[in-house]
Amino acid sequence: MRRAIDRTLTIAGWSCVLFVGFVLVLLLGAIVVRGLPAIDWAFLTQPQRAGGAEGGIIDNVIGTTILIATAAVVVTPLAVGTAITHGYYLRSSKAKARLELFLVGMSGIPSILLGIFGMIVFVGLLGWGKSWLAGGVLLALVMLPTVAVAMIERIGALPKAQVEAAVGLGMDDSQVVRSVILPQSFGALITGLLLGLARVAGETAPILFTATVFAGASFPTAIRESPVMSLPYHVFVLAQDSLDPAMRDRVWGAATVLLILVLALSAVALPLRLRIHDESVHG
Amino acid sequence: MNQTARTHSDRWSFTRLVCATFTGLTVGSVVLMALLFAAQSVPVWRHAGPEYIVGGDWFYRQELFGAASMIYGTVVVAAIAVAIATPLGLGAAIGTAELLPARARLWVKGAIELLAGIPSVVYGLLGVLFLRGWVDDALRSAGYEPIGGDTLFTAGLLLAVMVLPTIVTLADDALRAVPGSQRAAARGLGMTRAETVLSVCVPQAGRGIFAAVLLALGRALGETIAVFLVVGRQDGQWPAHLLSFERLFEPGQTLSSKLGGAETNIAYGDPLHWGAMVGLGLLLFCLVTFASFVSGWLQKRGGQVA
Repeated sequence: MRRAIDRTLTIAGWSCVLFVGFVLVLLLGAIVVRGLPAIDWAFLTQPQRAGGAEGGIIDNVIGTTILIATAAVVVTPLAVGTAITHGYYLRSSKAKARLELFLVGMSGIPSILLGIFGMIVFVGLLGWGKSWLAGGVLLALVMLPTVAVAMIERIGALPKAQVEAAVGLGMDDSQVVRSVILPQSFGALITGLLLGLARVAGETAPILFTATVFAGASFPTAIRESPVMSLPYHVFVLAQDSLDPAMRDRVWGAATVLLILVLALSAVALPLRLRIHDESVHG
Repeated sequence: MNQTARTHSDRWSFTRLVCATFTGLTVGSVVLMALLFAAQSVPVWRHAGPEYIVGGDWFYRQELFGAASMIYGTVVVAAIAVAIATPLGLGAAIGTAELLPARARLWVKGAIELLAGIPSVVYGLLGVLFLRGWVDDALRSAGYEPIGGDTLFTAGLLLAVMVLPTIVTLADDALRAVPGSQRAAARGLGMTRAETVLSVCVPQAGRGIFAAVLLALGRALGETIAVFLVVGRQDGQWPAHLLSFERLFEPGQTLSSKLGGAETNIAYGDPLHWGAMVGLGLLLFCLVTFASFVSGWLQKRGGQVA
């Protein structure tokens, strides 16, 4: 009886692992097998024509690049400031715990709510139309907890002898922050940014109302009333009228490009993250 | 960096001021968001009162705003997702944490992170092009006459796949946090591996596993794009009895799919209608924030125990 239970658990555990692996292969396979044939040089470099049925996705790639680059620029000071406040300036562990809990809560905010928030702030209060900058700021808020937490973990794992040595050399707070904490946690900032960007590159909901259009935009030349096209919104719109077979190939192509972009960003972050983990264990 | 390493004064240097400002902006943005949602939804609370939460009818042209069927849709879809993903995810976590060798475990976890990285619009696309048809076929062969494959159940099923990585990774972390000496002691007492896992590891990791499930629940409650594409977006789907299954295999609406739809643009400019839409956001915000705070709190407590 005990043996039977033991064997059952082993079999059950293994089958769950295999099932999850099977789902992964199935999902990635289903997309890539259909998407890769649709991708060629023209698809990547031409603007879209005929409502997505012809032409390529270059404007969508440009738009998504602009959105995530803006998000990275906007999120960096916010996340670094928050992480250093948490790691160096906040003294009571209660205040630190509160800030951590806040970041957990913030990372759980559904991204559609940021889309609505953006509409209230950028369209309602500021009177902008659709704007790449609004989209960048909203995406920055989506990825902020990821970046901040990556830095907080790294700062928390810094050997305290380094800070003590810096203080012993007569450095004041600002010098310690600028010459010890910041350089030492720079790698974590990059990792956090890459992971965050991997997440927001595929986000549709925050930019739905305030930043992105399906057609008729290219490189923005202003801030107000200057939307961009984007990969996720492109897939989102085409998925809703995907009955047309010609459209279907192209939506798989766009989805594959999006997937490759997202997975590349997180794959670049993986070794960096492992190394940081290593240092924090052995350092 | 413990407290004794600090020799710094309370002087407000430029660097400190900058850090504090950006922290303030971070916290302020979320506070501002909550306040704006509360303030802008005031018209609908005035107009509909408690009817806004318990009422099942939503006809904006008649100024009838009742969110009950959307709350029902949101909760049901998330519940289906978590009910399917929890046993599978826990099983896979037991597999990775207790059965697999360390190297293989890293590979599997890496693969699961990949699964978590797939954008929700891609999941939605897969749902539209495959899952919708499969559910339709399955319902037909089960003797139903579905309107189509877009149902609350379809959305729940799709969400189950989407939250699976969250449950596996976090439950695996929780199980790994149980000290190896405990396992060794249990085995030394003559317990089999299954007995060790089930009566030592899982109970000790219980809090962490529960936190993982709650986090997944929070994700499922708020997920918009994938749900939007397969849920059918049919208003007013309120079941005859709270526990009856009739509505599950019909199109429905969730808070998030309503917010992601065209009605958000239509409502803009009409304070009452817009207030009703923002109010849905506020309800969603409350649901999700509650789930993620409880989860964060449990994870902290779980960490201390382990």
